[in-house]
Amino acid sequence: MIKFFLKRLALTVPTFLALMFITFVAIRLVPGDPVEVRVGERGISPERLAYFRHELGLDQPVWKQFFDYVWNILHGDFGVSLATNEKVLTEFFTLFPATIELSFFAMLFASAIGIPAGAVAAVKRGSWFDQGLMALSVTGFSMPIFWWGLLLIMLVAERWGLTPVSGRIDLIKYYFEPVTGFMTVDAWLSGQKGAFLDALHHLILPAIVLGTVPLATIARMTRSSMLEVLSEDYVRTARAKGLSPFRVVGLHALRNALIPVVTVIGLSVGGLMAGAVLTETIFSWPGIGKWLIESIGRRDYPALQGGVMLVSTVVILVNLGVDVLYGVINPRIRHGR
Amino acid sequence: MKSLALAGMSLAALLTGATALSAKTLVYCSEGSPENFTPALNTTGTSFDAARPIFNKLTEFERGSTKVVPALAESWTVSDDGKVFTFKLRKGVKFHSVPGFKPTRDFNANDVLFAFNRQGDDKHPYHKISGGKYDYYSDMDMPKNVKSIEKMDDYTVKMTLNEPNAPILANLAMDFMSIPSAEYAEQLQKAGKLEQFDQVPVGTGPFSFVAYQKDAVIRYKANPDFWGEKAKVDDLVYAITPDPTARYSKLKAGECHFMIAPRPADLAEMQKDQTLKVINQPGLNIAYWAFNVQKPPFDKKEVRQAFNMAIDKAAIIRDVYLGAGQAAVNLIPPTLWSYNTAVKGYAFDQAKAKELLEKAGVKTPLEIDLWYMPVQRPYNPNAKRIAEMMQADLAKVGVNAKLVTYEWGEYRKRAQQGEHMTAQLGWTGDNGDPDNFFFLRGCSGARAGGQNITKWCNKDYDERLIKARGLSNQEARAKLYEEMQVIENEEAPDLKIAHSVVYEAMRANVEGYKQSPFGSHQFNGVDVK
Repeated sequence: MIKFFLKRLALTVPTFLALMFITFVAIRLVPGDPVEVRVGERGISPERLAYFRHELGLDQPVWKQFFDYVWNILHGDFGVSLATNEKVLTEFFTLFPATIELSFFAMLFASAIGIPAGAVAAVKRGSWFDQGLMALSVTGFSMPIFWWGLLLIMLVAERWGLTPVSGRIDLIKYYFEPVTGFMTVDAWLSGQKGAFLDALHHLILPAIVLGTVPLATIARMTRSSMLEVLSEDYVRTARAKGLSPFRVVGLHALRNALIPVVTVIGLSVGGLMAGAVLTETIFSWPGIGKWLIESIGRRDYPALQGGVMLVSTVVILVNLGVDVLYGVINPRIRHGR
Repeated sequence: MKSLALAGMSLAALLTGATALSAKTLVYCSEGSPENFTPALNTTGTSFDAARPIFNKLTEFERGSTKVVPALAESWTVSDDGKVFTFKLRKGVKFHSVPGFKPTRDFNANDVLFAFNRQGDDKHPYHKISGGKYDYYSDMDMPKNVKSIEKMDDYTVKMTLNEPNAPILANLAMDFMSIPSAEYAEQLQKAGKLEQFDQVPVGTGPFSFVAYQKDAVIRYKANPDFWGEKAKVDDLVYAITPDPTARYSKLKAGECHFMIAPRPADLAEMQKDQTLKVINQPGLNIAYWAFNVQKPPFDKKEVRQAFNMAIDKAAIIRDVYLGAGQAAVNLIPPTLWSYNTAVKGYAFDQAKAKELLEKAGVKTPLEIDLWYMPVQRPYNPNAKRIAEMMQADLAKVGVNAKLVTYEWGEYRKRAQQGEHMTAQLGWTGDNGDPDNFFFLRGCSGARAGGQNITKWCNKDYDERLIKARGLSNQEARAKLYEEMQVIENEEAPDLKIAHSVVYEAMRANVEGYKQSPFGSHQFNGVDVK
């Protein structure tokens, strides 16, 4: 088991190196450096330009900048944001809880609906429910997040007034200092009446929007996995033993069918991060997606490089975790059979 | 559907059913996060807006205008040679308290000196803190202009200039000259926490800082000791909402009372909505198309005038600005003092343009280049589209324009070097002083690398420009500026395209808001009924 884990861990090293290289090069290919993008019509004197380039180390040869950057990251130093002068790591950890919270609820929404729906569709294969669900899941999977988000805001929040438009909490009613960065937890800890429910209420729309694509994936995956399992001998045996259909499907079949679904959920984390960028923008959600977008505009090299590296680390670690978990659930994987 | 909606609403009410606080709160849906809370370090309107409730300056702009009025300086005198400004400071002005700091003294001359020296003196303990880039201080030529700043006594400060410079009073009213607490700075220095100075600000303004959560919210509370026009609400909240569609939705839902920068496409619907109020004003900016007078045939006045007649400006305003623009006649917008209403500009008349070109001996088809910026600017939503429309108009008078562009930094540099024949550019005013626009056509900027990309240097214009700088009497200055506008119109070194119009939207129950020509936002004196 440990050997398996170490092997998987070793495989992440080239991924990290490639990532560092790509983020470093990509942002430098965009025209305009961090000093120049600040300058408006007035321009900047060559002396001042040279001075600030020097201060930021941009006058160093590119290979040296890259080497320093890798060296610093290996020492846990992700640098300082050029825009705010805050440590990139501090900014990341200030904003990341908002993204995790949103992703968690999006996944909760996707799994809570996707798994049962997929299972029912498999059991009632070919029924109107099955066909309707599959059609819906294709729609869900191809839904443009931006459009979907705005549509829900206009309909649910504006027209029907069922949810707030955006933000994480009612700013007029509630005010408390962040403790954990997770609004639901902080609202709970604040003890202010109604705050926790208000935080949940603010999560409804963004979680639905971010959870839509994973929901479609999970529902489809559960269905096909269930179909496969349902035709297995042991399910037929269970049926033959006279177990109730609920026990057969719910206990014997679903548990085994969920193994690939867990993998899909794990792998969706990467996609979730990509979706979070858009969802956070629409819902004014103060997470890392919005932060990264702004960093590109400002050519904030350290924030962007550090941010991408940190997000990637999370995605890679989750994938690694899923691999390992999968190995635990399914010994055949572990032994490379 | 209706019953579902009703059921949902009562569920929503149940979910949010919390105690409403009695305090009056104004929520402003702003655009982004500030870089920090020290305006001297920043360049963006977003950052200035975030710090403005907290700070005061020696002089300030009257709310909703470009007029410079006394603020922390109660009065001032100017020496006869125009070089020495003596400021009498306001007494009894209290600084805010923040966790860990309670002021022991009122505002005085030490705070003024701190504001100047942090930016101007590279040995100052705070000079290098938080990146130490003082772009505005440098761009407004403060290091060149200010020879010294001295404390005469606790409530008197003397500023000595190298050359007479009347517009400097307007510079002092700009955000970068905001005055923080020097006592707070010293306390943080002793504690070795200098960075906190720019994160948790202490000023004398109408609101004091409460909390900031990046990309989410900034909170302020009314300063009960404020010396000027007091806040009419108890709490001020900036809800950071970068997407304009989301801002509009929040405004409609009542989640905010005021929003920045509505999308032009939403304006018609907003104006129809009884629960909202929309106001507008031409911005303090100009989009222009510069003719490089050093390159024939633009050395001839008639050619430049002909080009002014050949372009259908009204079509550009309609199709590119979508109505959010006003055709420009002079370099300064009509909201600025000294605007000359007698100048009428050039009417669109392609037949006359052709005639003039012929008269000037220009052989058609004439080949020129037409540069356009690769980026959107506050004064120009789409330079490329404008260039294409100009190209089509020019073709009708026998001119073939080749469209050219470069990466933005490169574009600016090359245009300032004078590599173009014609180029679009523009300007956003900094301090509401006409000099801040007219210098764009001055002789000192006409050298290679200078700001004047027409490279036009006219003695009559330039003499007046320099003379006006040395006068402290505003009427006398205005007269000179009015004359300069006549000269510039006749000489036509450029075609003035437009001043963009800035819109602001708020809930109908917001009262007392005054739109700033600078595009800045200020909420003391604003009430929610």
